[in-house]
Amino acid sequence: MANSRNGSENGAEGAEGAFVGFGEEWRQSNLTPTEARRATDWVEARIDKRSMLTSKERVEDIRDAMWQLEKDGEILIHRIDDRHKPVIARTLYGWEKKIPTTNLWHHKSCGQCGNIPGYPSSVMWLMNQLGTSYIDETDQTSCTAWNYHGSGIGNVVSLAAVFLRNFHQAYISSKSQGLDVGTYFPLVHCGTSFGNYKEMRIFLMHSAELREQVKKILAKLGRLVDGKLLIPEEIVHYSEWLHIMRDQIRDRQTLDVSNVRATVHPACHVYKMVPEDVIYDETVLDGNRVAVSTGLLQTLGAEVVDYSTWYDCCGFGFRHIIGEREFTRSFAIDRKIKVAVEEARADVMIGHDTGCITTLDKNQWIGKAVGKVYALPIMADCQFAALALGAHPYKLAQLHWHASPFETLLEKIGIDWEKAKVEFESYLDEVKAGRIETLYDPKRAITSGEGYVKPAALTDAGGNK
Amino acid sequence: MAGRMSAIGDPLSAEPPVAREELEEIFEDISSHILYDHELHGCLNCGICTATCPSAQYYDYSPREIVQLLWTENLEGIYDAMQEKIWACAQCYTCAARCPFENSPGGLVMIMREVAIKHGMQSAKEVLRPFSRVLLKVISTGNQLAPNMITREAFPDWGPNVSKVDAPLNILRKAIPVPTMHTMDTAWAVNLKTSIELYTIWEETGVLDQLETVDENLFDVVCDVMEEKREEYEEWLEEQENADDD
Repeated sequence: MANSRNGSENGAEGAEGAFVGFGEEWRQSNLTPTEARRATDWVEARIDKRSMLTSKERVEDIRDAMWQLEKDGEILIHRIDDRHKPVIARTLYGWEKKIPTTNLWHHKSCGQCGNIPGYPSSVMWLMNQLGTSYIDETDQTSCTAWNYHGSGIGNVVSLAAVFLRNFHQAYISSKSQGLDVGTYFPLVHCGTSFGNYKEMRIFLMHSAELREQVKKILAKLGRLVDGKLLIPEEIVHYSEWLHIMRDQIRDRQTLDVSNVRATVHPACHVYKMVPEDVIYDETVLDGNRVAVSTGLLQTLGAEVVDYSTWYDCCGFGFRHIIGEREFTRSFAIDRKIKVAVEEARADVMIGHDTGCITTLDKNQWIGKAVGKVYALPIMADCQFAALALGAHPYKLAQLHWHASPFETLLEKIGIDWEKAKVEFESYLDEVKAGRIETLYDPKRAITSGEGYVKPAALTDAGGNK
Repeated sequence: MAGRMSAIGDPLSAEPPVAREELEEIFEDISSHILYDHELHGCLNCGICTATCPSAQYYDYSPREIVQLLWTENLEGIYDAMQEKIWACAQCYTCAARCPFENSPGGLVMIMREVAIKHGMQSAKEVLRPFSRVLLKVISTGNQLAPNMITREAFPDWGPNVSKVDAPLNILRKAIPVPTMHTMDTAWAVNLKTSIELYTIWEETGVLDQLETVDENLFDVVCDVMEEKREEYEEWLEEQENADDD
């Protein structure tokens, strides 16, 4: 394990607990433990509030620049309209954000699909329960931003081009079903994609040079609309959709979760990147925390427990989880898992982003090597919600991919996990025999190219071609 | 961390100091980056960024120091920080969210990483070696992670419970109720045309040049994969044309 440079609780107990890493001119304050505690309390009373994020001068609503550029004929905006039945949410500064509630294009997360498959399956299952229309298609790449933030390979032009290529495909995907363009609106699953795309939209609006470079590339790919860049009216994270739909989700709830003490890990790339575009709600922890996930848990009746390191990252680090795991696992255990267990006495930690769930879930077992033994279930908000609505913990929520122990939590909310596990193992025999259950018609996933089957209504003869 | 390079100006180092021209060229690449003015506005040395930084607790790294080096145009210090410190940043952007000046130290670190790669710094090559599996996957497929990359051998510290049901990976993948995820080599099934479009983006934006600079062997492998997939796509297009003619 990596050694924390902040070995003591308040970091002011002499050389052993000394901070370093501040540059050569750094000097110890030599506060007594009591003085240090008082100073920390003073800082936390201020820093732990929404106001820490709002006292900025350069904030602008980038959508104003978008409308102007559209008026100038430079871009075209993919609007959220009646087809998407939008609901208005309020963001950090009280601005309105339109959240589409139906006709959604799932923009998947590579880390979720590769490593936490119950994450996207829970989102789609909840949509099936609520009668939400969606498309999950194969013509999409990841945002490539994990790689960029980890390695530095990639650049703002490549990230912006990938962003607009994927969102252009979302715009035209409905043509494969004989529907008007723009019918489906992208719903972003990954927190890093969400933060990255919002940043790219701002950079694109600010820089004519960047727009020009990206436009040339998209022209080559045939991904312009009327010769213009297509920009989404909103960039929407799935957790925002869950937040907006939380009352309807509660209406379908079958399990009582009121005895669950839940902590929330808000994801850095969800609420620290472009913070002005994140939903806050006065009814959720007095509006001092990002509202998504916490609002859903409260609505489902769980007891949400705040904790002192809520603002800390998970330790994922992008590069670190691959190449410097000592940092990742030390930070995950010391700053998140330990605090959730010992301070908040949590039954579960709920997240809303790919890397965080992976990091917090997978980095508990190794703690045993240094006597830090913790067993805190980790899952995404959508998985918890799906369980509360009666989803199968293995077939649907796919919890067997999680390394953290979830069994006690399931027992607490009345799920017989042993019975469910036997059912799932029996289902695997069905899978081996080719009898596979899916959430939607697999033909709908392919909208062009090899494997695409034209709907009967679109073929000349009325039959499939 | 990768092996520390000799700091310039180190009296004990036998390495010659880096030429002034090179230091200036590096700073010019950083300060002319399209996002530089967006990420740096000033600095009062308040240290909120470092106080809230996860990496500062574990590494000899301080976002405040990075901002100060750039703001004061300390070319030697910038070069020195690019050897190791910039790779400690966890990219959480807590610093950016809290900076009263609205700087983004995390964003500045990304600019410096890009420039470290452009200049083929040995430290960047060493730091990125463990990342090569991700680089290969994302550049050749557009997915950054695949189910068959998560193995007990690759992640022994994740423990024995990475899968709590004992069954072959391909069966477990087919038991996911999302049809696009019945895959092993990629996180979801990706259209061939999608990958081809992505290759164009890599070529047009200099990403392949970056890859060649840090890892020539990996670059060769990626080029081979791209060529194969492009041929495969051309063949499919020809088949479609022939079918249409029939």
